[in-house]
Amino acid sequence: MPGAGTPILDQVFDRDSLYALRSAVAAHASQAGLPQGRVGDLVAAVHELAANAVRHGAGHGRLRVWKHDQSLYCLVADDGPPQDAGAAGGTEQQSRDAALWRIGSGRGLWLVRQLADQLSLSSGPHGTTATVIFTFGPPEPDPPFHLSQHS
Amino acid sequence: MTTVGADAQITDLTVNDHACLTFGEPEELLDLTAAFVRDGLSSGLKVVWLSDAAPAQAVSELARRGIAVESAVAAGQMTAAAWEGHLLSGQAFTADHAMGWLSGEMAACRQEGFPGLRVAVDMSWALRPVTGVEQLPDFEEGVAAALAGTKVSVLCQYDRERFDPVTLASVAAFHTRAVAAATYYQDAVLRICRQYAPPGIRLAGEIDFKAEEPLALALAEAIRLDGDITVNMADLAFIDASCVRMIVDATRGLAASRRVVLQCHAPIAARFVLFGAADVLGVSVVTVHER
Repeated sequence: MPGAGTPILDQVFDRDSLYALRSAVAAHASQAGLPQGRVGDLVAAVHELAANAVRHGAGHGRLRVWKHDQSLYCLVADDGPPQDAGAAGGTEQQSRDAALWRIGSGRGLWLVRQLADQLSLSSGPHGTTATVIFTFGPPEPDPPFHLSQHS
Repeated sequence: MTTVGADAQITDLTVNDHACLTFGEPEELLDLTAAFVRDGLSSGLKVVWLSDAAPAQAVSELARRGIAVESAVAAGQMTAAAWEGHLLSGQAFTADHAMGWLSGEMAACRQEGFPGLRVAVDMSWALRPVTGVEQLPDFEEGVAAALAGTKVSVLCQYDRERFDPVTLASVAAFHTRAVAAATYYQDAVLRICRQYAPPGIRLAGEIDFKAEEPLALALAEAIRLDGDITVNMADLAFIDASCVRMIVDATRGLAASRRVVLQCHAPIAARFVLFGAADVLGVSVVTVHER
C-alpha cells in the first residue's frame, strides 16, 4: 500500500457500529483537510464498503485511513472469520469473494465508483479488501493540510 | 421500536374532542397543528391556535405546509395568537381566567355564525416561570366539562421531551383522546414518522439499510393514501444507497397523476439525482436550506 504508515484512523466495525464509523470518518477526513462536500462523499463511500462487509461478507470488518501524497486512502477489509452461513437472512450468501460483494450490494459499489477518485477491490484467502482514494485537489493558498496535527 | 397505531391520528378528531397531543420536536408540532387547522378550515369551522410563535410566524409556518391560512385569517375564520392576553395574564395563570378566555372564544364563534370551533393550545407556557401553573389540572378538567354537548374541540399540545411524566399523567385523564404522529421507527439516531400536512413521511437523523423494513412500511402506507406524497428529509443528515434506491423505486410505481416531492438538503438531493429520481415522471427533488 502506498505510504501505508501510521493510519489517522483504524477502527473495527460491525452491523451495530456503522453510525459510529461514519462519525469517525467524517471527523478525521475533515481534520485532514478534505473539503466539506467531499467529506460527505467519503463518508458515503466508506459506509457502502463497510455495509458490504457487514451484509455480504464476514459480517464485520476493519477500516484504516491514511494520508499519502495529497490523497486520503481508505481501506475496508472484511478480514474476520466468516459468519455462520445459517445466520444469513434471505438469499444473501456468505462468501469471501468480492464477486458476490458486487452482486449482493446492488448499487452500493456503483455509488462508490461515482464518488471516489479511485476504487480497487481484491479478494484472497483472508477475505475481501476495498480501497478508495479521495484526492485533495489543487492546493489552496493556505492549505490546511500543512498543519501538523498528525505528525 | 414500532408504535404504529398506539394513539389516535390527528385526522381522526371530531367535534367536542378534548385531545391531548404529545410531540417530540418542533417540526412534528407544526405538522400536526397544520393538519388540525387544515381539517378545521375545510369543515368551515373557526380555528384558533395559541402558541409560543409570533402570530405572523405561526401563520407562515402553517402556510409553508400548504394550508390557506392567510385568506382564513383575513376572513376571520382563523386566529393565531400568543398566550399572553389570552390564556395568560401578565405571566400569571389562573384556571378561572383561562376558562373565561375559552368561554369568550366559544361565544364569539357562535355569534359569528360558524358551525363549530377548533382550538389548539401549545402548553409549553407551563414550562416557563409562570405563577399558578399548579392550576393546570383544574383548567384541563374545566375544558373537559365545557366541551360536553358543544361543537367545540380542543387540542392541548404537550412536548413529551420536556414535560415530566407526572404532569402528563395528571392531565391525561381529562382528555378524550391521546394523539401522536404515527411513528414507524425511532431510536437515538433515526426517526421515521408519518407527515400529515402535506401528507407523506418524514425522516430525521441518519438512515441506512438497517431501517429498510420500517422505511418500506412507511412508504407503502403513504402510497396507499390518495394524492401527492412528500418525503420530508429536511432533518436527515445521512442516507445510504439502499434507502435512496428504495425511495426512488417506490416513486416509479406510482400512477403518473400523483406527484412526489423529495425535500432534502443539497448533498442528499445530489444523491437522489444521481440515482435518477429527477428523471421519474411526477417526482421533484426540492432542496431545502438550513433554517
